[in-house]
Amino acid sequence: MKPSIPAAATDLAERLRAEIVPELTGFRANNVAMGSAMIDMIAEEFDRAAARLFEENEAVRALLRRGGLAADAPTKPDLRVSALEAENDRLRAALIDLQAALETRDDDDARALDADVWRELTRSVERRRIASANF
Amino acid sequence: MKALTEADMTAYLAARFPDWRDVRIDGLHRLPLGASRETYRFDLSYSDGDGAHSDRLILRRDPPVSNVDSDRNHEYSAYRAIHGHGIPVPRMILLEEDPGPMGGAISIAEDLRGYHNSEYQLQQPAWRDKLPHIAAQMWGAMGRLAAVPVENLDLEFMVPATREGTAMQELDFWEATLDKNDVGPEPITRAAIRWLRRNPPPPAQKLAMVHGDFRAGNFLYDDSGTLIAVLDWEMAHRGDPLEDLAWSLARVFSFGKDDRRSGIAPREEAIRIWEAASGLTADPAALHWWELLNCVKGQGIWNSCAQAWTTTSGEREVIHAYAAWWLRNAQDRAILELMGHL
Repeated sequence: MKPSIPAAATDLAERLRAEIVPELTGFRANNVAMGSAMIDMIAEEFDRAAARLFEENEAVRALLRRGGLAADAPTKPDLRVSALEAENDRLRAALIDLQAALETRDDDDARALDADVWRELTRSVERRRIASANF
Repeated sequence: MKALTEADMTAYLAARFPDWRDVRIDGLHRLPLGASRETYRFDLSYSDGDGAHSDRLILRRDPPVSNVDSDRNHEYSAYRAIHGHGIPVPRMILLEEDPGPMGGAISIAEDLRGYHNSEYQLQQPAWRDKLPHIAAQMWGAMGRLAAVPVENLDLEFMVPATREGTAMQELDFWEATLDKNDVGPEPITRAAIRWLRRNPPPPAQKLAMVHGDFRAGNFLYDDSGTLIAVLDWEMAHRGDPLEDLAWSLARVFSFGKDDRRSGIAPREEAIRIWEAASGLTADPAALHWWELLNCVKGQGIWNSCAQAWTTTSGEREVIHAYAAWWLRNAQDRAILELMGHL
């Protein structure tokens, strides 16, 4: 789409804040202000969502394979965000099981893999950060 | 959900109080307060055997689906329990638990008008010099709440708790909330839950009435920054007073997007004020446990927001989707920091 979706969405959010919110009061003003902030988040997420999900799914598959769990990628990847999110949910559920199992072990391999799981979880949080978040 | 109207309110109050005459409702409108309940402001006038009366009132209504597992009776009883014990709160006036007349259970309270509650306003330059006073007010009131002898309060409506059991009771509750409102796997939050179970805190120094959501945004303050009333008691419960302190220190409530907690004061200053006012000690390890527990609690609430938005059969609340989008990843990031992975 032209103009680009993030640019158009960001402009729309700013227009809502500058032109519509001041015309409203109370509950309605708050709803429109939150709506404009959500449009900003959509703008931020639109361009990066598929890339971050693809990157994260690859990273989690590698961790699961190191943990001895089957984690084959689809032979023909579906790059729609909804499909990548569904795969992400499946992989993250398996990651929870892997991490819980690692925590019951007391050996260097388990500790190393657990540390790498945490490194990937930290990277995933940084990939998902919202510019407007408090933290 | 059916919108509240002045005509409905008038008819309800006239039926509930047959001695009242000339019942009139003016200026009924919804306030932008919170994600879990609907809050309305209105003016009431009526006459009875004592003459003419007029009141400024606040009405809270339970929605069909909420992000917080509470109800009108619980919050109404919590306000009544703490009223008169040194923590300023609005006076409760009426409870209607039958959802029929008003489309949901309601409570009505006095409206303390002309004050502020915005947590964002406190980030404006005009308020910067008042923040130390506001910090003393906020964490001072929280400390005084912790000091109130729990045996002096009528808390029979609350779930029982013990000094030894409250930590795991809260963890069980919030893990169950996450299970009930599953919106996808949460490896970071689930790892935090396992850590909390492996590393239980010491028994609470005392049992207290825990507010459950004591932070900037949930108290009224005047132009000088003096605290006028503590609001939003729907999650109040018996428990470890460190829970309130820990909740107020949460990174997700750092509205200044810096190290000031609740956007008001540095962590160490908040703890110092709370300790002085409560007469209790914030043991660092125990406080850390409650801060992490509160991350689980927060994620439970934000996920409940997402679930409420997704499953409601009525009108969706914008704040449910907004809160989930805005807070879930920040909450994960706070967990990473507390667990030493950031």
